[in-house]
Amino acid sequence: MGDVIDSMLDLMRRLPPTRTQENVAALVGICPEDADELLQSVDQPLQVMVDRATGREYLACDYNRDGESYRSPWSNEYDPPLDDGAVPSSKMRKLEIQANEAFDTYREMYYEGGVSSVYLWDPEEPSGGGNFAGVVVLKKTMTPATPYEPSGSWDSIHVFETMERGRQAHYKLTSTVMLHLLTRKGSESDGKPSADTKGPESWKRNGELSLSGSMTRQTEQDWPLQETSSHIGNIGKMIEEMEIKMRNLLQEVYFGKTRDIVYDLRSVGDLEKARRQKELQKELVGFIKRP
Amino acid sequence: MDATERIKAASNFLLQSPPGEINDVLNDIRNIISDDDLLQEGIQPVLRRYNIEQFTVVDVPETNHQSIISEAARVGSSSGEEERFLDPRSKISFVFDHLSLEASDPQPFEADAEQESFRAALETAALNYLKAHFIDGVAAVFSSKEGANRYVIQVVANKYNPTNYWSGRWRSEYVVDLTANEVVGKILINVHYYEQGNVQLNANHAVSFNIPPAIASSVANTASSKIFALIEDEEGKYQVSLNETYQEMGEKTFKGLRRALPLTRQKLDWDKVMGYRLGAELSGNRGPFPTT
Repeated sequence: MGDVIDSMLDLMRRLPPTRTQENVAALVGICPEDADELLQSVDQPLQVMVDRATGREYLACDYNRDGESYRSPWSNEYDPPLDDGAVPSSKMRKLEIQANEAFDTYREMYYEGGVSSVYLWDPEEPSGGGNFAGVVVLKKTMTPATPYEPSGSWDSIHVFETMERGRQAHYKLTSTVMLHLLTRKGSESDGKPSADTKGPESWKRNGELSLSGSMTRQTEQDWPLQETSSHIGNIGKMIEEMEIKMRNLLQEVYFGKTRDIVYDLRSVGDLEKARRQKELQKELVGFIKRP
Repeated sequence: MDATERIKAASNFLLQSPPGEINDVLNDIRNIISDDDLLQEGIQPVLRRYNIEQFTVVDVPETNHQSIISEAARVGSSSGEEERFLDPRSKISFVFDHLSLEASDPQPFEADAEQESFRAALETAALNYLKAHFIDGVAAVFSSKEGANRYVIQVVANKYNPTNYWSGRWRSEYVVDLTANEVVGKILINVHYYEQGNVQLNANHAVSFNIPPAIASSVANTASSKIFALIEDEEGKYQVSLNETYQEMGEKTFKGLRRALPLTRQKLDWDKVMGYRLGAELSGNRGPFPTT
């Protein structure tokens, strides 16, 4: 048998994405010694927090966590407050402020709402030079005004590493998008007795359809580097490209693949009729071919 | 976590298994819990519950057809006796192993003669319906244990394709009550797609309708095929309506969450994004962060 952590990751790949948080918590309970590795490897929905100093919303995830506290990208403060919480070096913080500004624009252009946050961390070794790493997170939630309106949420987590090579930089990007969509339908949902013209009047219906999950992709690219702030544009372009690709992929899987599988289970058309028609056709062909 | 809590957590995971993946989930759990004795003892009831809830398909001994393990298939065994399940089609009851999914000890079962003729008529209609619309389906019709003139129709279709990382299950159940002249049913669909990700579709649809008097008063064969005509119509309409739901989700929710491209229909000009910010900062018009 392989590593326990591999089994945990395989399990999380199979269990319902809507229950990730509860299942991760249970796994941590069973194997506390593997908690850190598990929490680092399983992406969980981002939590929206409000910066106490500026009133702006930001996103909490494993990357801006120190103990039980989360650091805001706007004020650089931890909530609940920490006296000795880890913060980036002043050089890194300057870049982080710029990155948060840039991705705030990106968020507005593509999400027209939602929340974004960027967190950077210094190289592990002081000699690491410009080889820093970071994460860009974006989240948007749609809450329905009535129970029968569709609702959903989108969480993007882009983790990147940079390696400076002279006037070039090499980037490694790992992107995860979590997407949840939910629609409820009921006899009362559209006001009229649900479009049943010929059936008996007594028909009652209600139901729910949810599509939820996550997909992860990786890419590595080289980009020119003029100055430190060029990193933001380079990473920006990579993330933009990646999100466009992943959005197409999600569309294909959510609305294409899952639908095809339903149609592989049940056919709307009458299979028996189709079979008989085919046989009849075979017979006719044989009949015509006969000399 | 003590042993009881660990079994509880393991049971919870098992019940969440996607179609056709319970063995994979069980394998993971074995490695995580790493106490086979504890597991073996603890998970029997939950495997049983999973098989009953998921309409697990079983090869019926001494026949060449399959039947369904479910609450309706459970036959009354006096306490102490081993639990048995019924295949109403062959009128054979058997013992079911919830881990190996095999039936054993087949015994003839005496059906309630009064219920049997209508049940058999519904069964014939069910098998015709199954052939017409399900690719790998199994259907069973039971006389309800909860009173006379009640029948439980169950249909299940599974497709497992681990090579291409997907699986799917369709379950339907209809309780036909000839006393109340009512049919109460539900459709449950689960799809799992897990190539470089984990995407799941879960759909449920509850439906109920009265049996029109013209149908209720006809002979068993006619009434049965007419009831199935209503079910066929409902399931077909529901399946087609899924397309509309998909379209609505794609156009309203998906687009509303994230646009394919910005309103300008162009990708961002990152030099401008950076330059604009820098310019604003230099001219001192704005602080590093807008307050709005």
